Amino acid sequence: MFAIEALSLSKQFGDLKALSHVDFTVSEGETFGYLGPNGAGKTTTIRILTGITTPTEGTARIFGKDIVKETIAARKQIGIVHETSNIYTDLTAWQNLMFTAELYHVPRALREKRGKELLELFGLAERKDDRTNGFSKGMKRRLTLAMGLINDPRLLFLDEPTSGLDVQSNLIIRDVIRDLNDKGVTVFLTTHNIEEANLACDRVAIINRGRIAAIDSPERLKKTIQSVQSVEVAFDSQKPVTVEELEQIPTVSEVLKQGDKFRLITEDPPTVIEGVMAFAAARKARVISITTMGPSLEDVFIRLTGLDIRTKGVKTVD
Amino acid sequence: MADACGQLCSELNAAWAIAKKDILIYYLKPNIIVSGALFPLFMFLAFAVGRPGDPSALIPGLIAITILFSASSIEPVSIPIERRMKTFDRLISAPVSLHAVVLGESMSGFLYSIGIAFVPLLAGIILFGTPILNVLPLVLGLVLTSFCFATMGTLFAAYPTESPGDIMSMLNLVRLPLIFVSGVFIPLDQIPAAGRFVTYLSPLTYGNDLIHAAYAGTTIFSPLFDVAMLLVFIAIFQFAANRLYRKFNE
Repeated sequence: MFAIEALSLSKQFGDLKALSHVDFTVSEGETFGYLGPNGAGKTTTIRILTGITTPTEGTARIFGKDIVKETIAARKQIGIVHETSNIYTDLTAWQNLMFTAELYHVPRALREKRGKELLELFGLAERKDDRTNGFSKGMKRRLTLAMGLINDPRLLFLDEPTSGLDVQSNLIIRDVIRDLNDKGVTVFLTTHNIEEANLACDRVAIINRGRIAAIDSPERLKKTIQSVQSVEVAFDSQKPVTVEELEQIPTVSEVLKQGDKFRLITEDPPTVIEGVMAFAAARKARVISITTMGPSLEDVFIRLTGLDIRTKGVKTVD
Repeated sequence: MADACGQLCSELNAAWAIAKKDILIYYLKPNIIVSGALFPLFMFLAFAVGRPGDPSALIPGLIAITILFSASSIEPVSIPIERRMKTFDRLISAPVSLHAVVLGESMSGFLYSIGIAFVPLLAGIILFGTPILNVLPLVLGLVLTSFCFATMGTLFAAYPTESPGDIMSMLNLVRLPLIFVSGVFIPLDQIPAAGRFVTYLSPLTYGNDLIHAAYAGTTIFSPLFDVAMLLVFIAIFQFAANRLYRKFNE
């Protein structure tokens, strides 16, 4: 049985088609990434899969339960961590957890046991009885995740779980996601952090303009655009090396400055390495490091969504 | 059968959890105290001060408008705030029906109203020695009228805004005229015949009639009719609230 089956989901808002015949399945125990630019249809998909809104066409099933016809039965198996840390800031951390547990029909003894475990897990036990309006952004996010897990869900929807967080909260949340996956919990992850999806997800779907552009494992998606290879190089030079100079090297199609390094996009890395070394010798610059790189998941994302965010801000190209 | 009972208990427990949450968070919010407790008192004083006659005769009316304002003041404040904080998404994505969400939200307004209504009730007894002739209509009047207006507040709060002021403005367009057409301060027989039709459309007419029966021993309609009409209004408001929350969640 699949954890999620989305079958030809469409959603129309007036003249706007937010989703158009979206099809995918997520197996039990899988971590599934759902990537797309803003307005691509990610939130609409989650709202349909969690039964908040109904699809104009198509069907969605959660562990075999139709989310429209058997909404409550389907929702009992899921936990949701919304994009915003939507906790009640006038309540304590403990009251937030217990309220969520009551909404999810968790029996009293079990919810108190799980509540204590989750506060320990997320490093919030010492602040259990504090009102959450004094919590930092990271603490609020951790509590939101704890609330999403209070019913011990088989399927967890995570909407941008680590966006804008401090390092400690990021690490805790990533560890928890990994542990959940080890325990067989299915995770549906939407994120703008493509590297996070690359590291955490078994498979990734890329959605653009309400349609699925690709679904596959991160590595197989990268193989689809092998032409986007690159050489990353850093120089030590008295006179700074410029992008314009490096663009003259044969077979380089594009140069990106990334901090103190340059990324030279090419279909022929060996020729570029030779060119870089010759350039450095002629320029009396020292090459500190040089690395060849395959396409990243971000490259796949940019290629499939038509977004160019690397050099000129966000730009949509048809 | 056992499954249905279990499901019903789960729904009622979830509704009670929502009501408890509202009690903890919203009962002491300044805007709730002003619109739910102080506003009806000032309305009452505006009508009662300088008016000839026994002030104790105005106690039933004060109870009625206190219920109207207090019961319908919680959700129009709490739900827009929860939309803004995105906590409302928690309620509508939980494994409970919209009926349970509407019921839970209405329960918090209902309990708030019952508590506030005891202030004029006790003031009548302690300050003016106002006698209560019949307790049953008073209890029915308090409970049904409170729940009816709490549900009305939840219905208005379905309007998809994040600003409590938007809903309060619409709600006051309904609440203020209700005072004048429901026999609270102006006896129904003094309302022009052309306007009498409107009185029958006001739930406050029937609530006020029941509460008045407890104090005066007389009613305009039969108490059973009052109870039936309040139940009809509760059913209409609950049904409409469910439909609107469903529609606006799309």
